[in-house]
Amino acid sequence: MLCVRPVSHSDLTSIEKLMAQSELRSSTLPLDRDRLSEKIESSVNSFAGSIEEGRERFLFVLEDLATGEILGTSGIDACAGNGGPFYNYRSDELIHSSHTLNVFNKVPVLYLTHELTGKTLLCSFTLGAALRETPAFELLSRARFLFIRQFQERFNDRIIVEIQGVQDDKGQSPFWDSLGRHFFNMDFATADYYSSIKSKTFIAEMMPPHPIYVPLLTPAAREVMSKHHPGTESTCQMLAREGFSVSNYIDIFDGGPTLEARIKHISTIKNAKCKQIKKSDSGFGMKYLISNNRFSDFRCVIGQTTDGLGDIIRLHSKTAESLAVDDGDTVSFVAL
Amino acid sequence: MVIRPIDVTDIDELLKLAGEAGVGVTTLPVNRDLLMDKIESSIRSFNEAVEDEWAFYFFALEDVESGKLVGVSALDARVGLDDVWYNYRISTTVNSSKELGLHQATQTLFLTNDMTACSELCSLLLSKPYRHGDNGQLLSKCRFLFLADFKEKFSPKIFAEMRGYSDETGHSPFWEGLGRHFFAVDFSHADYLSGLGNKSFIAEMMPQYPIYVPFLSTEAQKCIAQVHDNTRPALAMLEGEGFNFNGFVDIFDAGPLVEAFVNNIRSVRDSFKRQAVVVKNPQEMGGREPRPFMVSNRSFSSFRVGLVDALHVQADTVSIPQALAEALQIESGDIVRLVELRNKKGVRK
Repeated sequence: MLCVRPVSHSDLTSIEKLMAQSELRSSTLPLDRDRLSEKIESSVNSFAGSIEEGRERFLFVLEDLATGEILGTSGIDACAGNGGPFYNYRSDELIHSSHTLNVFNKVPVLYLTHELTGKTLLCSFTLGAALRETPAFELLSRARFLFIRQFQERFNDRIIVEIQGVQDDKGQSPFWDSLGRHFFNMDFATADYYSSIKSKTFIAEMMPPHPIYVPLLTPAAREVMSKHHPGTESTCQMLAREGFSVSNYIDIFDGGPTLEARIKHISTIKNAKCKQIKKSDSGFGMKYLISNNRFSDFRCVIGQTTDGLGDIIRLHSKTAESLAVDDGDTVSFVAL
Repeated sequence: MVIRPIDVTDIDELLKLAGEAGVGVTTLPVNRDLLMDKIESSIRSFNEAVEDEWAFYFFALEDVESGKLVGVSALDARVGLDDVWYNYRISTTVNSSKELGLHQATQTLFLTNDMTACSELCSLLLSKPYRHGDNGQLLSKCRFLFLADFKEKFSPKIFAEMRGYSDETGHSPFWEGLGRHFFAVDFSHADYLSGLGNKSFIAEMMPQYPIYVPFLSTEAQKCIAQVHDNTRPALAMLEGEGFNFNGFVDIFDAGPLVEAFVNNIRSVRDSFKRQAVVVKNPQEMGGREPRPFMVSNRSFSSFRVGLVDALHVQADTVSIPQALAEALQIESGDIVRLVELRNKKGVRK
């Protein structure tokens, strides 16, 4: 059985292995052992409730309970920026018009902004390609919504997700090559590496402070603005089903889109229910995403049950065991 | 050849001249009504019928033998008073990160109105058959003798916009790389509209935020502050007079703007007064190397400038041949202003 649970220190090497195999990059998972260890430490502290409000960074892992193997990670930063600025470009339009010349032009412009700072950020998603098209994908990603639902007061009302932008066959980013590269004088991979291990102040220091006129970017860069990496297709579709929509914000490095939703509009959060359980070894129904309602010992699995009119649902004892719940405990559940 | 204020009777010749000019001489569109307006504005200015700051002085180079206008140049007393005058200032943005060990300087164009209320040298055009000898120099520099005697009517600093680079077909790479994205017409058309008085309207279509130069095409970048080949001599001449390029360029074709303080302009600073002595039989050159001096009659409303050789310039007086005296409308005893036409000292290497 697969289970989503908080990361622990012992998961470090498994996560490193996972990242090395992944074709997609999550810039919130540092490619550096010390930094990754700090990130895990920060999550452990967050789940222990020993971190100041606004700095919680929750990292979950997907574990195969049978083998103990770590198959994926997903994370939530309670406040994007984690106490520092969180940068994006806001894609906007300026109207250039003249009655005299009988012209009306809309000029697209990018404004460097940190107005998404403090929103809740879904991040650090990694899952082996083999599992992307399986229920494990939904489990790992949507488990976060059950967690947020249970502990809403810890999160911002607006949830955002940054989706990796388009890169060419050689791993170059057309958006970066047309914009950031002029100012950083380094290739995308290097800048991406720095952004995952260095403090973010260098972004403020190196990015051009004035708005960027989109028509002056290369056609290749304009083409990929707000476009997602083909490898993130299933993520985007899942988030769309959950109620996320493409916002006006794009990533300052690769131009990838930022998706956004209000907590109350997220389908998993809206539709999940909370009921007591009773263990039983017969009579199961549909597949559900089921989580226990604990904070530091959060668990989420896929299990079968039948939701009736009563206040109690039946769970297979194996499912109950993997969630570490017993008769009379409450769980949250939502259709898979 | 003599310089005089332009007159309404010059309109046909002026129109012909403007037609020869081609793209890039924004201030002289081939448009009869507009050129006539300029002539009339000049006439009012020379008659002091307008406030000093609204004045526009239009000078004509006349071939005295034919009485025809063969070139023009102008002085605009102030720019940017009724519409908005735009230039780009080439500036530098530095981004630096100690953490990454990076220090990156980026050329940036800032839209400015810094020339507002400055006087401008403009509208220089010389008919092709006359582009030889001293004509071009006289046509351009006559304005400095006017400035020397009437500087209180002008701003302390004066500038000239030099025609920027465009190819034989009138195609400006800078316009293609920048302006066209915001106002989708050809440079020649934008230039024509500017000349009709729409320049500030077009400017309002242009980007208001600073432009990072690396975003422009390589061809567009190369044009920044480059003059049109035909304008190279004019630029060299102004530089010889003490004009400097200080980082301002035209917002359409990125041609350089050069500026100088009136008091520092060589032809103003080195000019001097002499009493005229009209002579019937002037001394022959006798094989001497010519050394022309400009001579102005120092009249405001009937301003005239001609050329006289160094041979005739004495310690207190200058001998003016009869024909020239008539053209300059002076008599013996009048005080004239002189300056050597070419800058002998500061010849650029």
